[in-house]
Amino acid sequence: MIRYGKLVHMEVRRFRYFLLGMMGLTLVVQVAALIWKTTGEVHRLRAGGAPVPFFGFDKLTFTWAVFNTQAMFALPILVSAAGLALYVFLIWYRDWLGRGTFAYRLLMLPTARRNLYLAKLTAILLFVFSLLAFQLLALPIEQGIFNLIVPAEMRMDSYFTDIIQANQAFSLLLPLSGAQFLYQYGLGVICILVAFTAVLLERSFRFWGIGYAVIYATACIAAFVVPLLTLGFDRDDAYLYPKEIFGILTAVIMVVAAASIGLGFRLLSRKITV
Amino acid sequence: MIEVENVRKRYRRRWVLDGLSFRAEKGRITCLIGLNGAGKSTALKAMMGLTPYQEGSIRLEGMALDKRSYERISFVPDHLPMPSAMKLGEGLQFMADFYASWNASRARELMHFFDLNEGERVGNLSKGTAAKYNLVLGLAPDTDYVLMDEPLSGIDVFSRETVASVFSSEWLEGRGVLLTTHEIAEMEHLIDHAVLLKGGRTVRSFDCERVRDEEGKSVLDLMREVLLA
Amino acid sequence: MGTSDGWTEIVFNGRDPVYLQVIRHFKERIATGRLLPGQTIPSRREAAAALKINPNTAQRAYKEMEEQRLIVTEGNSPSRITQDAEVLRSIRSELVGSAVGALIAAIRNLDVPVEELLAHVRREYEASRASKETGTEEEAP
Repeated sequence: MIRYGKLVHMEVRRFRYFLLGMMGLTLVVQVAALIWKTTGEVHRLRAGGAPVPFFGFDKLTFTWAVFNTQAMFALPILVSAAGLALYVFLIWYRDWLGRGTFAYRLLMLPTARRNLYLAKLTAILLFVFSLLAFQLLALPIEQGIFNLIVPAEMRMDSYFTDIIQANQAFSLLLPLSGAQFLYQYGLGVICILVAFTAVLLERSFRFWGIGYAVIYATACIAAFVVPLLTLGFDRDDAYLYPKEIFGILTAVIMVVAAASIGLGFRLLSRKITV
Repeated sequence: MIEVENVRKRYRRRWVLDGLSFRAEKGRITCLIGLNGAGKSTALKAMMGLTPYQEGSIRLEGMALDKRSYERISFVPDHLPMPSAMKLGEGLQFMADFYASWNASRARELMHFFDLNEGERVGNLSKGTAAKYNLVLGLAPDTDYVLMDEPLSGIDVFSRETVASVFSSEWLEGRGVLLTTHEIAEMEHLIDHAVLLKGGRTVRSFDCERVRDEEGKSVLDLMREVLLA
Repeated sequence: MGTSDGWTEIVFNGRDPVYLQVIRHFKERIATGRLLPGQTIPSRREAAAALKINPNTAQRAYKEMEEQRLIVTEGNSPSRITQDAEVLRSIRSELVGSAVGALIAAIRNLDVPVEELLAHVRREYEASRASKETGTEEEAP
């Protein structure tokens, strides 16, 4: 358990500069877009321009600013998401490729090898949620900047939920319903598990392993998508109630998760090769 | 004693280990000798659980190897398996964090002996220095056995002298050493027992002094006789 | 014990047991007076490190030398060269004897008369001594 914790700590340490880089990028791009958009609008209004009504209000709101900087606010989030998705693979490959094949050392640690797997999984989740937390922290800061730029008589306060819904990337990343949040991030975790197992298949069987990995990933996706399409989740005349279909899908996901973890642990302890 | 018995490993339709058997005893220096591709490195990796094998058995004091074996056997691969961004001092801390067998005072001694600087980064080390640091990581823990893959190959002549002197030092006293080499000349007078490998198989296993005594042959003579035959 | 001490000068051949070569090295040093009777010698481990040999081999050489009464070890104190005059004398004659034996084995098939052989030996021996002396003079101007 202590060693698992130390492994997580090590993984986080190894990624800290990238993580800080992503946070920095997010803040810089979003603040720049915000300043550019807001100062432009304030200048226009001061010069006697007619206010553009936003949801029926003439005054400027932070929600308005977020809504009108869609692309620039979403861009760093997309970059971070893409970076993390890539790192799901790199977190393994960096130990094998690269000058000092650290995998030798990691596999020789006097601890159960599943701790390596769990530590890498934990690290990825920590990165995802710390970026998310950072975004949540960045919003009030950005709102403060907005308030500094826009004179009090020109602006109105916004609601947090409005701000989240103003940007498509936010509403995707931060579903306001708890169930939706759980389902979305649960699916995300399972995607990571499937990717981890695919990597371990490749690392264990190398050339043929690529084939096994593709087959495995395809099978996992099919197991989820096929019932989704054939059971008629979206049709009124489906044989099963939506609740039942939901139950079946949840069961399928659980099976995929268990199979991925089981296979991953087994590969790591029996078949992996440096 | 580490016993390797009839180990067979297939990789890409070829038996890279094909009935490998030998023993490494405590207090003795055993050397796996073979030409390139004879399966020396694979043998060490299989012993350390770094690559799977299909048949045979590897036992440590009569027991199958598991994660606890890593506290009793240390392995020095033919390269330094540490991330290049890591500082040498951080590497020592990493080892101390994970291994109960880590002996910090011996690590300090070795760092001093090899004249290594804890503030240096792994990525900036020269090949010879990296080999020395690699030895620190392998020798500092209180393990009963130390496995080394080609400890002298590819490093400059002065580093080689320093590294070779380790074999006569107290740091290896009482421990079992198993090393591989394809270039025996420098090791010839250091080893107790030689295991000749060809095609993943043990072709001859002998006590070096006994062969000199009884047959008047050098290890190199036997290598020629057996490996080129 | 520095390198200038002569410990690292030894060049091993691969075909004779290393421990025998170590013993021979000690005998030569005793015969030439570089190791004196009663002088303490390095521990087994130090000798192994200096000669770059396996500690087990050094151990074996020391054990053999103890059995031949070449060195004596009392309790935990360091080993010393023997002071037994008998043993010391025998070392010299043994070394000369084995060298002469090797020479004779090498030329046995040539059927050289012993007088001719002795003349050769005398000439070569004096020449090598002379060159050794001039060699040292040249080194020190």
